[in-house]
Amino acid sequence: MTDTTAVLGYAWPLVVSPGEEVVFHLSSATLERAEATLLRVRCADPDPSGPGLRFEQPGCPLDGSVTLRHQPIRPGSCAVVPDAPALNRSGSFSVACYILPTAPLAGPQTIISRWRDDTGEGWRLGLDAKGRLEFVLRGQGRHWRATAPRPVIEREWIFVGGMLDAAAGWMTVVQASLDPQAGRDTSGAASAEGPREFGWPGETALVIAAHAVEAGEAPRTAGHFDGKIDRPRLHAGALDAASLRASVETLAPVPSQPDLIAAWDFSMGISTDRVQDVSANRLDGVLRQLPMRAVTGANWDGRTVQWTEAPELYGAIHFHSDDMNDAGWSPDLRFTVPPDWRSGFYALRLRAREGSDDPVESFVAFFVRAPLGKPRSKLAFVASTATFLAYANSALRLDQVHAEAMLEGVIALSRDDVYLQEHRELGLSTYDTHSDGSGWCYSSAKRPIINMRPRGATFNYGNDTHIIDWLEQTGQDYDIIADHDIHRHGAQALAPYACVITGSHPEYFSRQMIEAFDAYQRGGGRHIYLGGNGFYWRIGWHPEQPHTIEIRRGMNGLRTWEGEAGENALSFTGEPSGLWRSNGRPPQRLVGVGFDAQVFTRSYPYRWLDAARDPRVAWAVEGLDLDAPLGDFGLRGGGAAGLEVDRVEPTLGSPPHLLWLATADQLGYGGVPTLEELRTLHRGAMGDQNARVRADIAFFPTSRGGAVFSTGSIAWACALSCAAYENSVSRLTGNVLRRFLDPAPFDGFDA
Amino acid sequence: MLVNDPEAAHWPVDPGRLDLVKEFRAKPRGPHSDELQKLLHRMRWSGVGRRYVLIVLEPNRRWMLGRMPGKRGLPIETFPNHVFTDLAEAEWAVFALRWEALTGQRLEDAESKPE
Repeated sequence: MTDTTAVLGYAWPLVVSPGEEVVFHLSSATLERAEATLLRVRCADPDPSGPGLRFEQPGCPLDGSVTLRHQPIRPGSCAVVPDAPALNRSGSFSVACYILPTAPLAGPQTIISRWRDDTGEGWRLGLDAKGRLEFVLRGQGRHWRATAPRPVIEREWIFVGGMLDAAAGWMTVVQASLDPQAGRDTSGAASAEGPREFGWPGETALVIAAHAVEAGEAPRTAGHFDGKIDRPRLHAGALDAASLRASVETLAPVPSQPDLIAAWDFSMGISTDRVQDVSANRLDGVLRQLPMRAVTGANWDGRTVQWTEAPELYGAIHFHSDDMNDAGWSPDLRFTVPPDWRSGFYALRLRAREGSDDPVESFVAFFVRAPLGKPRSKLAFVASTATFLAYANSALRLDQVHAEAMLEGVIALSRDDVYLQEHRELGLSTYDTHSDGSGWCYSSAKRPIINMRPRGATFNYGNDTHIIDWLEQTGQDYDIIADHDIHRHGAQALAPYACVITGSHPEYFSRQMIEAFDAYQRGGGRHIYLGGNGFYWRIGWHPEQPHTIEIRRGMNGLRTWEGEAGENALSFTGEPSGLWRSNGRPPQRLVGVGFDAQVFTRSYPYRWLDAARDPRVAWAVEGLDLDAPLGDFGLRGGGAAGLEVDRVEPTLGSPPHLLWLATADQLGYGGVPTLEELRTLHRGAMGDQNARVRADIAFFPTSRGGAVFSTGSIAWACALSCAAYENSVSRLTGNVLRRFLDPAPFDGFDA
Repeated sequence: MLVNDPEAAHWPVDPGRLDLVKEFRAKPRGPHSDELQKLLHRMRWSGVGRRYVLIVLEPNRRWMLGRMPGKRGLPIETFPNHVFTDLAEAEWAVFALRWEALTGQRLEDAESKPE
């Protein structure tokens, strides 16, 4: 059994051009060194029934022994406000905010603090192990604490505050439920003896949603809070509960109040990683590990579901104790990609313990793109990096109740999965839920991604390399371009190519990416879509940080978590998220077919339809028997139509010129329609009774000589190599590619 | 917040329906009759007790039985004495364990229960 996790790493940037530097950040808890080899990936799927792992070794100075060290990952988001004179005061003070705790019984957690764990000094307002609000002060060897009488309730908004009256030597903790009825009222207060003299610890950051474990401007943090925090306020003096509540309630505190030390307004700069203080002291802070912004605040009333229309209703941040955006590892290897290297899927292979019973072979993936405007081929294959990020470190099969029923069989876990079960600090995917049950809406590449690399889970990355393998096998040259480039540069990234292939599951698209493909196709570009469930979800990319995406799942679509009410707009861009079908651009309009069903029981062949005999597509079916099944073989379920499948639907935009060439519409009871395909609930919706549960193959010409060919099935790519690549799936794909690279227009279609 | 309830699958399992056992034994990967589909859903939705899984020892060739700990972050329990070279046999082994958990009855040709 090969150990794929004894050393892990990530490459930054994830996508580089020839001539640019890529930096590898590595870590191992057990190995002192490994043998590094840089490889160009041809096939990343280790299944011996297929092509197996296949690489090219270009040879480079990086190849050789690399010394390893252990670099821990520290998850958990928070806001850090560096020490400032306004925070260095003694005497009475008051601190308060609204919170919506999402895991109050998960362990002690800090809401707001000026505290350092190493010396145990400072103050903090937090929840104790029983979910009770506590206000704690410590210093000069003494310890003061006030604890609220009743615990807070999970996912209920509550006002919380702590006050020190130094003159009286008294401290108070207070809470007030925002919906104090029907068993939801946990309001109350408690007071205890407090210090008459209390000096705040110097050089210690103020932290929101955690506390510092050490001094300094960028301390490590602990005690991370799970839940929303809205409108934190810090005052000099001991305010009474009503005054403190009023300070939190107001959306626009008067900055000139001399006793107002800080008032953070999280509705400002929602697309950034900064939090702003609207008091006169300007105690702005920085967010760590990308907590969720653009979430409803305590005052959200449903008058809008779009944060850009009323940001003042979105003054909360949802912090998670397991948020992970940047592992922050130091670099171990640097490499400048030679200018003459081919673009491609690349990986750094790390081997150790070779020859033992437990050899180590771990990969760190990166991509070398063809530089913008400098194509080396007429064909480009798209690295679906947005989709790879969306699925990065998916724990769906580990955590989710539905996984085994959906996948129709006992779940088979790789060694990577076994590792992920124990190492949640890697950060999960946008398919997963945080430890508090809320959905992951962000994913970044600044962390090891164990299912985007050779030997990893085959879905997406591994399946896509079957197309690369086929291109290599058939001697077809190609460039690699990545989703990131298509988002950043738009149609320019596609324009130099006569033909562009998208892979097995290009599911996640920003508006800029959709528009790039649309413009490319309208401008004479030719697009071969060899997958299923593509062009499905609407995402945003972080405005500043590369290789970081956001998705809001909303309440429609095949979603593994449901978005909260009012939280379906992207914090990065302000745009709506959810399905492209719900955003006016159903996939059928772009590529002729769109997602309709899953089928994991087995995969099926297609049957040819009459349009396949249309002389205008004779080039496509050359050498194929139109009376025989198409693709009654394959590495995924024994057929070319399976896993996730798409269908033609004119009412959703499949174009009038589309030729519906083949269909697999007998998908049995395992063919389960996606949620947005059902208007009402009724029996008879599964594939054994429902002809709309199917995979379709379609062709249509676009303007200026462009065209689209779609196969509508994730399983397609993994049928290409069967029978030594001599098969109907390979033949049809090859026929279409050859014709799509031929600039001759597609005749016989009226204008 | 919409969550899936692991206890939601409640189709009643009849310990006398050995015909369904026989059908599954013959064709672990299906297609299955309506009644067997319901039995499998009952078994798979909750996992019946802690969820049995397979751990890949060699891709698409060799698998070891494992069991999820039921909590994030804890290690997966492994059963090194229960190794399969055929997915259908692995499906059958898990089916038999779950049948016993649901009905209290041990199937004749089931593997020994992992300790």
